[in-house]
Amino acid sequence: MSKQEKHKILLIEPSEIVAAGIKEIIGRFTEFEIVNTLANPGYYNPARMEADIIIINPAVIDYNERFDIRSFFGGENEITAIVALTYTSYEESVLRQYDGCIGIYDTAARIAQKLHTAIEESQLAPKNELNELSTRERDILVAVAKGSTNKEIADQFNISVYTVISHRRNISRKLGINSIPGLTVYAIMNKLVDISDFN
Amino acid sequence: MSHNEVLYSRRMKTADLIATDSGLLSILQRLGIKLGFGDETVADTCHRYGLSTELFLVICNIFSHRNYEPKIESLDENDIKHITNYLRSSHKYYKEVCFPAIHESIHRLVKELDNVSRRLIDKFYDDYDNEVNIHFSYEENVVFPYIDTLFGKGCKQNNGFRIAKFEENHSNIEEKLNDLKNIIMKYLPEDSAPTLRFQILNDIYALENDLCKHSLIEDKLLIPLVENFENRNE
Repeated sequence: MSKQEKHKILLIEPSEIVAAGIKEIIGRFTEFEIVNTLANPGYYNPARMEADIIIINPAVIDYNERFDIRSFFGGENEITAIVALTYTSYEESVLRQYDGCIGIYDTAARIAQKLHTAIEESQLAPKNELNELSTRERDILVAVAKGSTNKEIADQFNISVYTVISHRRNISRKLGINSIPGLTVYAIMNKLVDISDFN
Repeated sequence: MSHNEVLYSRRMKTADLIATDSGLLSILQRLGIKLGFGDETVADTCHRYGLSTELFLVICNIFSHRNYEPKIESLDENDIKHITNYLRSSHKYYKEVCFPAIHESIHRLVKELDNVSRRLIDKFYDDYDNEVNIHFSYEENVVFPYIDTLFGKGCKQNNGFRIAKFEENHSNIEEKLNDLKNIIMKYLPEDSAPTLRFQILNDIYALENDLCKHSLIEDKLLIPLVENFENRNE
């Protein structure tokens, strides 16, 4: 990234008041720019994402997914840093997933400093294998290949339908396969399911 | 669109158009324009074949320029029948030229695969082929005839069909083609039909690109023009 280029930020925060406040503060720094604000990660679409930093309130992520935030956003290569925005304290194991953590009482200068540190941190951290499916994704792929609906998958894994959709989007993006028949072909060819399940 | 790309104009020579982008040859072929047009301008050629020059230019611009956004302002409702004619002949081109070529290659490909993969790919392709045929016949038997009856022939019986319904039913046949592409490129074993797979991929990429422009013509030209017409004639 060249020096003149701004870091583009996606903000995921359910409170409009807080979102507007963060936006105002970030606007004071020339090196950062909020390009999009979402109230809910369900609206997240990696294909249309230009951001390289995500600031997200961990409260909007399902409890089960909080421990695997990178895979939630698909280990996206353009995304350098994922930063938590917290009103309250979280378990250490939750916050460890993030490249940084902004508290609601932080000063503007502190926020900018934390963002810079987060970018540096994330560049040091080992990147996930970008196109390798995570275990959870592989399980969901098998369920999709066997014909389960999103609702059935959500019930089976005890996660929300939003989360299922988000996983499916990541699976499709990683594999480059979108249709259910295509995913089925992939799953059988890679011996994740047996062809005899289909006869 | 990058700043050095120039859109086509009616005074351009037809031969120069092709020299700029030889991919447009297949558009001429679809529209029944024969070679031997000498130094005619685009407007002359279109006139001789009874085609709408404006529409022809829009279609060529769609095909040649990646980020070109077609607008209906330069067109009017007389162009609608030219659009459906173009879409019909385009279907014919897909059905008689593109799909048979890919089908034939897939047929040769599966012969080199193991039993399981052969069944999978065969079935996947057959289902896709089926879906494409359903999609095309829906347009040919329901949508285009509806548009034909909208214009003249005094026949206004359209059983409540509106073009908006077409938009709803407009399934995305490109998705499976993209999947097939990735399966062939990424997931079949390295040693299965290495040369043939390159050829199939080239064909699929070309077809994919063509289908994408085809939908653009439907979504950005046909549907808005017909919608305008419907609204004015209510």
